[in-house]
Amino acid sequence: MSSIALLRVRGLSRRFGGLQAVADLNFDAWSGEVLGVIGPNGAGKSTTFNMIAGALTPSAGSIEFDGQRVDGLPTHAFAARGIMRTFQHNKPFPSMSVLENVMVGMHTRIACSLWQVVAATPAAKHAQAHAAKRAAELIEFVGLKEWIDADVATLSFGQGRLLEIARALAGEPRLMLFDEPAAGLSPSECLRLADVIRAIAARGIAVLLIEHDMRFLMSLAERVIVLNFGRSIAEGTPDQIRVDPAVVEAYLGDLGALSRA
Amino acid sequence: MRDLLELTVSALASGCIYGLLALAYLLMTRPTGIINFAVGEWGMVGAFGGFVLLSALEVPYALGLPLVVLVMAAVGWGTERLTVRPLVERGAPVLAPILALLGMLVVFREIVSVGFGPDPRPVPGALGFGRLELGLIAGSYQSFFIIGSTALVFVGIWWFFERTLTGRSFEAVAIDRRAAALMGINLARVTAMAFAAGAMVAGFAGVLVAANVSAHFMMGLPLAIQGFTALVIGGVGRVEGALLGGLILAFTEQFIVRYAPIPAGLAMGVPLVLLILFLLIRPTGLLKAREARA
Amino acid sequence: MKSLAGYFFAAVVLSAIAFVLGSYQTDVYRKLLLWITLALSYNFLFGVSGQVAFSHFTFYGIGAYSIVILTTQLQWPLPLAIVAAVLICVVAALVVAIPATRLEGFYLALATLAFAQLFVVLLNEGGSVTGGTGGLANYRIPEIAGLRITGPWYTIVIVVLMLGTLAVLWRLERSHFGRACRAVRDNPEAAAAMGVDPRRTRIVAYVISSALAGLAGMVYAFVDNTVNPVIFGLENAFLLLFMVIIGGSGSHAGAVIGAVLLYLMPFVLSPLIGHHHALVFGLVMVLAVLFQPQGLIGLWHSLRDRRAASAGRSTP
Repeated sequence: MSSIALLRVRGLSRRFGGLQAVADLNFDAWSGEVLGVIGPNGAGKSTTFNMIAGALTPSAGSIEFDGQRVDGLPTHAFAARGIMRTFQHNKPFPSMSVLENVMVGMHTRIACSLWQVVAATPAAKHAQAHAAKRAAELIEFVGLKEWIDADVATLSFGQGRLLEIARALAGEPRLMLFDEPAAGLSPSECLRLADVIRAIAARGIAVLLIEHDMRFLMSLAERVIVLNFGRSIAEGTPDQIRVDPAVVEAYLGDLGALSRA
Repeated sequence: MRDLLELTVSALASGCIYGLLALAYLLMTRPTGIINFAVGEWGMVGAFGGFVLLSALEVPYALGLPLVVLVMAAVGWGTERLTVRPLVERGAPVLAPILALLGMLVVFREIVSVGFGPDPRPVPGALGFGRLELGLIAGSYQSFFIIGSTALVFVGIWWFFERTLTGRSFEAVAIDRRAAALMGINLARVTAMAFAAGAMVAGFAGVLVAANVSAHFMMGLPLAIQGFTALVIGGVGRVEGALLGGLILAFTEQFIVRYAPIPAGLAMGVPLVLLILFLLIRPTGLLKAREARA
Repeated sequence: MKSLAGYFFAAVVLSAIAFVLGSYQTDVYRKLLLWITLALSYNFLFGVSGQVAFSHFTFYGIGAYSIVILTTQLQWPLPLAIVAAVLICVVAALVVAIPATRLEGFYLALATLAFAQLFVVLLNEGGSVTGGTGGLANYRIPEIAGLRITGPWYTIVIVVLMLGTLAVLWRLERSHFGRACRAVRDNPEAAAAMGVDPRRTRIVAYVISSALAGLAGMVYAFVDNTVNPVIFGLENAFLLLFMVIIGGSGSHAGAVIGAVLLYLMPFVLSPLIGHHHALVFGLVMVLAVLFQPQGLIGLWHSLRDRRAASAGRSTP
């Protein structure tokens, strides 16, 4: 691990009218580490996630990625920087096959101009072949090999989730953001998902994971941040978090969740 | 001065027609989200209905006009039933009914063209072709009739939306279709009523305006554009916006034609330029939709 | 079509036809090729990029009028006029696309509809520059190096235009740009998350499609040797939309089928319904949207899939 955090969040805040959804959040994320963000409903997890993914602009504070400010940039600029995300409610492109969906994720990495495309130069052909090959590799990596040419409408929910991941990975991210990836998955699908996420972190990619399913997240994350009412109330390893008094109190209404974690 | 007032009356009358067309769109778009490009053709159908009943068959106006409007209700209901309902029930993308209605635009126009030929057909005015002079204010009978009846229509529609339960259910559907359905509001019925109402209002406008311009199979598209422009200016959210937009469009148009040193043909471009300007600068229109009440 | 050989073969065949046709048939053939060209570029804008626009014939007109005005009124040599006319189309497309792509679906349709009507109004009021409502006539294609391209040789120019348009759009559609267009059409939020700039993608798609329409317009100008406002109005814009949908939106083959079918249909139906082909088009359009939204090409695909499935079943 390098000595400077890949992602540095300082004083991150977001208001919606009169509601302070996130207030003064500070944390770092490192390459190769799985960082989990948990909290009760309404704690501000999604808002935080969307700000780091570039889907929302912060009201205050800064998000620094690889030493450069990214907050305030348009959404599509985040992928170019190396930040890719999945969606909790799968958002595939229904008019394209699984392979083509993943190839879209590669958009920022394709080094070929439209003039070259129109002229069908060798460079364009090479870029296309390379993209298809890389996409196929990623599809195999997440375990969707047999479905490579399938219509996305035929995928199950869990498979659609894996497609989300393959598509995001196609962007060659250095930071992968997972939006409640375990939601809606069966236990066996969760196990496979955990393997995939660990493999991604093992490749040196920083992983930030928001999750409601405590058990899933605790088994996967090396470090956990706990949010409540838009603020960070605890930060540490899963074991430390489990017994932190502030965390216990925040989840007091859901002792069952905490004991399962 | 008299000149200016006459122009004002004329612009008011035109503005009412544009407002009615905008209202027709609004009645259909609000609850369903479907943009019915064929509204102008419905105005044309109404105009020809007026020709058949009032000119050819010489039915008295007081009977003929409501008859036309009733027939238009059937036209609107029929269109919805045949070309919109199957798509909505199937869960087709929003674009599909819009495209189907575009096809219907052509169908309506061609049917009228086949049936009545290319020549314009006269439609009588409500009170004959006289002029009324009230002091300094002067205008044709038809202009005053248009203004008066449009005012009634708008008041009636406003009252319907504000004060009746059925009207409030329209609003509910406009705000949130799923929630409305969950509360027991019959979406199919609301949609059918919306289209019937839209057709009635459009046909009504068609009969009124045809007294001045005659019924002609190509009159639909200009009406549609004027209606759209009025809608965009006034804002899609509110019934009053339709009338406001229509009046602003008519006044701008007529005053430019009368007082600006540009050739008459270019005046046809006024609604188009206004439409483009509003789309670019203020696509939501001048009046905002009502916020949810606590 | 993938290979250069394929294009070459098609060019030869389509050009050879030009030499065996009589003058009436040549006119029909040329117009058919032009409609196919327009349908291909409109299909990219509407079907692939998902933009409902009514401005395609407007750019056809901008290209046509530009080339005529530049060569006959300003006496520019043809090569220079071609370059200038293309530039005019590109600039006009940018002027429309940059603000218009900020608008959501319906509003874009409305804005392009207004733009199309405005173009016709301006043409009608253009005085001696545009020839007003009568348009411009009595001109001929200028010579290049002492040669005047007419007759079957000009038909070959149209064949090249059509195949060239197909080649450009085919390659774009299969590339990362085509995928980006589809992604933005399907789900702009997800597309942005993947690094696709939705607005820029739409603008580029709009400019390329419209410029291709303008180029076709330039070629058209010397087919009838007359241009007038009616040709470039909304009637034909609707017809183009019908062609693309009935043929199968999003597919090149669909665009070709739709164009061929709807262009030739009036010739076949004329004995039955006279001039009122539009009625049939409207009805077929409504039926297509209701019963076969994938268009004729979709019908072909599902028939083919069904045959493949039953073939699979019959083998033990």
